[in-house]
Amino acid sequence: MPRSKDLDTIAPDDPITPSPVETAVTINSSSPIKKKKKKILSAEVPPSVEPNKSANMKFRQKIYEMIDGKTAHSLSAFLARPKVFTFDTRDDEEEIILVLRRHWFTNVHWILLFIFMLLAPALLSFVPLLNFFPVRYQTVFILFWYMITFAIAFEHFLSWYFNVFIITEERVIDVDFYNMLSKKFSEAKISMIQDVTSTQGGVSQTVFNYGTILIQTAAEIPVIKIELIPNPALVIKVLQQMRGEEEQETLEGRIK
Amino acid sequence: MISQLNTLMLLAGKIFAILGTIIYFIFSVVMVKQVAAMSQNVHDKFNGILIAFSYLHLAFSLLLILLAVILL
Repeated sequence: MPRSKDLDTIAPDDPITPSPVETAVTINSSSPIKKKKKKILSAEVPPSVEPNKSANMKFRQKIYEMIDGKTAHSLSAFLARPKVFTFDTRDDEEEIILVLRRHWFTNVHWILLFIFMLLAPALLSFVPLLNFFPVRYQTVFILFWYMITFAIAFEHFLSWYFNVFIITEERVIDVDFYNMLSKKFSEAKISMIQDVTSTQGGVSQTVFNYGTILIQTAAEIPVIKIELIPNPALVIKVLQQMRGEEEQETLEGRIK
Repeated sequence: MISQLNTLMLLAGKIFAILGTIIYFIFSVVMVKQVAAMSQNVHDKFNGILIAFSYLHLAFSLLLILLAVILL
């Protein structure tokens, strides 16, 4: 059957059967092209991804090497890659690199106060302040004293335990509870960090290696101050590596 | 005169103790709320223990009010 070469003149119902020559051409020509395309894909994509990934992994691996093994126990002030710890604004896949609390030495003053307050009723036998009152009054007063002692210690512990500075793979977060009812939550993307400064002064800070870090950002909150954290030099190094990793991602155009 | 002063002192002590324990109870309620709010923001291993402590503290402060009312 003679076939029109002009496809525009073909009626819709006209059967189209490809000629054997054409099929041979399409079969023979299509497979190499596909193979070539696949070859190109397999040849081009991995070099553009793998070195970048490995570059990022180098940064991350370095961070892990720096911080791993630094956490003594779960009540530590320096939690490296914690497994249990999390916070409410965390994304599902966001990895926590570091969680920092104030150095344990900053708790010494209230622990001493707590011990003194516990022992204070024993001094009443030497200084009879409550002897004027009957024994039942004295009992209530002493119980009340112990309750207040517990509350002071508990408040200080809560303040230490919940005031945390968190470094994740994407951002730094400072959670501060100033008193019983006021809270401050500061956050900055790691890519927004411009400058990091640390200060260490005084005998105790030098001996026990803790200090304050100031993070200047280009974000809405210009300065994030993290006070009295352990090992500030190491934290700065970690932040430097994180910034390096973030810059690498920016260069590759892989910003989350 | 001295016995009157004594009675007055005891009464003042009683009022101080009861008012003080009531205020303390309010403080311990706030503390429970505070621990709950903090635990919502930051989750860690010891949150459960801290919440338990805050409730225990609340129970003791309630007991203290009762003791102050009964004993004094």
